[in-house]
Amino acid sequence: MFNGAFRERVRNSWVEMRENLTRSTLQSLGVILGVASVLGGFSISDSMRKRSMELYVRMGGLDKLNVRQSAVVKEGAPTALQMANLGLRTADADEGEEIDSSSVDGIALRKDARARVRSTYADQERDIRGVGGDFLALDGYEIDQGRDFTMHDIDAAAPVAILGTEAVSVFFPNGDALGRTLRIGDTPVQVVGILKERVFRFRDGQRNIFRWRNRIIAIPTTLVARRFEGDQYHRVDRVTFRIRKLDAMAKFSKALSGVLKANHRQQEDFRLDDVGARVRKEQSQGNVYDIIFLLSGFLSLIGGGIVNVNIQMATLKERIREVGVKMAIGAPGREVFKEFMTEALLLTGVGSIVGLIIGVGFSKIITASIGIPLHIDAKSFVSAYLLAAVFGFVFALFPAWKASRLSPMEALRYE
Amino acid sequence: MQPIIETHGLTKVFGSNGAAVHALRGIEMTVARGEFVALIGPSGSGKSTLMAILGCLDKPTAGTYALDGERVEGLSGRELAQIRNDKIGFVFQQYNLLPKASVLRNVELPMLYAGVSRKERRARALELLERVGIPEKAKVLPAALSGGQRQRVAIARSLANGPALLLADEPTGALDQKTGHEVLELFVDLHRQGNSIIIVTHDLSIAAMAQRQVEIMDGLIKLPEAA
Repeated sequence: MFNGAFRERVRNSWVEMRENLTRSTLQSLGVILGVASVLGGFSISDSMRKRSMELYVRMGGLDKLNVRQSAVVKEGAPTALQMANLGLRTADADEGEEIDSSSVDGIALRKDARARVRSTYADQERDIRGVGGDFLALDGYEIDQGRDFTMHDIDAAAPVAILGTEAVSVFFPNGDALGRTLRIGDTPVQVVGILKERVFRFRDGQRNIFRWRNRIIAIPTTLVARRFEGDQYHRVDRVTFRIRKLDAMAKFSKALSGVLKANHRQQEDFRLDDVGARVRKEQSQGNVYDIIFLLSGFLSLIGGGIVNVNIQMATLKERIREVGVKMAIGAPGREVFKEFMTEALLLTGVGSIVGLIIGVGFSKIITASIGIPLHIDAKSFVSAYLLAAVFGFVFALFPAWKASRLSPMEALRYE
Repeated sequence: MQPIIETHGLTKVFGSNGAAVHALRGIEMTVARGEFVALIGPSGSGKSTLMAILGCLDKPTAGTYALDGERVEGLSGRELAQIRNDKIGFVFQQYNLLPKASVLRNVELPMLYAGVSRKERRARALELLERVGIPEKAKVLPAALSGGQRQRVAIARSLANGPALLLADEPTGALDQKTGHEVLELFVDLHRQGNSIIIVTHDLSIAAMAQRQVEIMDGLIKLPEAA
């Protein structure tokens, strides 16, 4: 290798490839298609995955643990304990935070109601969202005009509202919503904030899957409790904890479960939902596509490999004399083997590069046609390339071995 | 002084049992260092087989063969390759140059297998091309050369590793008389410089240029008639 024999082999292989362009192209076709389909497949599923990650991030992030009410009475009459149970309450959120206040980066409360909503322009039956804590931030909302709810608004059950863009256009079509009054049920509330419009289309040209989020009419949870669905226990529909540290989540979730159970007279009338874990699980199901793509790449590499062996064996016949000459002037079988291997591996190498280029083009076309941004992982490049290299190596072995075992005398005499 | 070639009872049998062909039937041959020997004989006499065995391209079925003092009949393929590389220079009738490599690279090839450094390979190859009289053709492909020039390249290649023995198989067989003669002159020169040469031919006028003629007949050396 260090006296230039390796260099010489590569150079000769290159010349051989260039001089037999048609043959070389045919030989590398299998590699090209295999690499292209593996890379293409991987990057399409990577792109899809990336896109759905974006969706979750836009929905307010994956680092959340939701607690919801859940029916505890499966059948028959409820027991006395179950009857006496109070359900999910504001107190649960407070005690949850006390478990590990350094890990909890935010808490959101939600308590919904349904009411008649009236303004000068419209009169509709609407869902009202009672929000507490950092609800807006945790659900991915941002204030466009006006302000967020203050601590005081929530503590005092202040009659204030924040509207989504759709609600604004329905109830205040002239665009002067801020500061105006909206009647929710019998309660007049003042519009103090307007949210940014939320838009997410999974693919270009699809419907905005966030459109219902623009319908939001948010008021403090405490106001919902006082005027609509109220009770003295401060029940809520959902509590959300934001835990940024990934490794703290499992521990927190377990501790929270214990605290809630103790708080709920040992009744499991709540359900914990670790959003990140759920999404990761859902995404891992998408791996089946990766396997399919990998398999199709495998098959074309095997097909290409067999074609390659065939062509190589056929050309070996043409080159027997050349092998004989080299052996006569002192090339050992090992050297002949190396020369054939170099040629096959160079072919595989060049073929893979072409395959990678085609694979990128291929995934560009597909992702553009389904309207999602292209995302190619470096990992996909490496795995497609390695796969081809392994196949190229394995299928090169037989012809190279055959050539190296020729008898120099017979090879020289071969016509 | 030790002979360059010494064989005893060299036999070669092709095929087996019923269809066996006895190509060589006990060759006793000695070539002294620095000798120029012509191996002659009609086709089918076994001279090509003998040449292959002397050139370490093939192994004898039985008998002993010492090349430059080293017994080679029992060596492995790899060891034989090394001996061919190190001690033998081949010149073929059909030149057998690699068509896709330049003249220079062709001459460098045996040195490449011997592990000679790039710089030295280049220097020695140029020197050899000078010696065979075509230094200006270093960069061209063999296809651009005449037959005589190609054979000169082949001779330069055969000399690359300073072999103990030059083996030429009908070196002028594909050349016209004039160029053939020039090539033979080159061999005579090489002999004068001290090289041991065996030339295989069926042309008696060529054989006459050698110091000694060894005639093969039916797998045996035909004893020279008393001169």
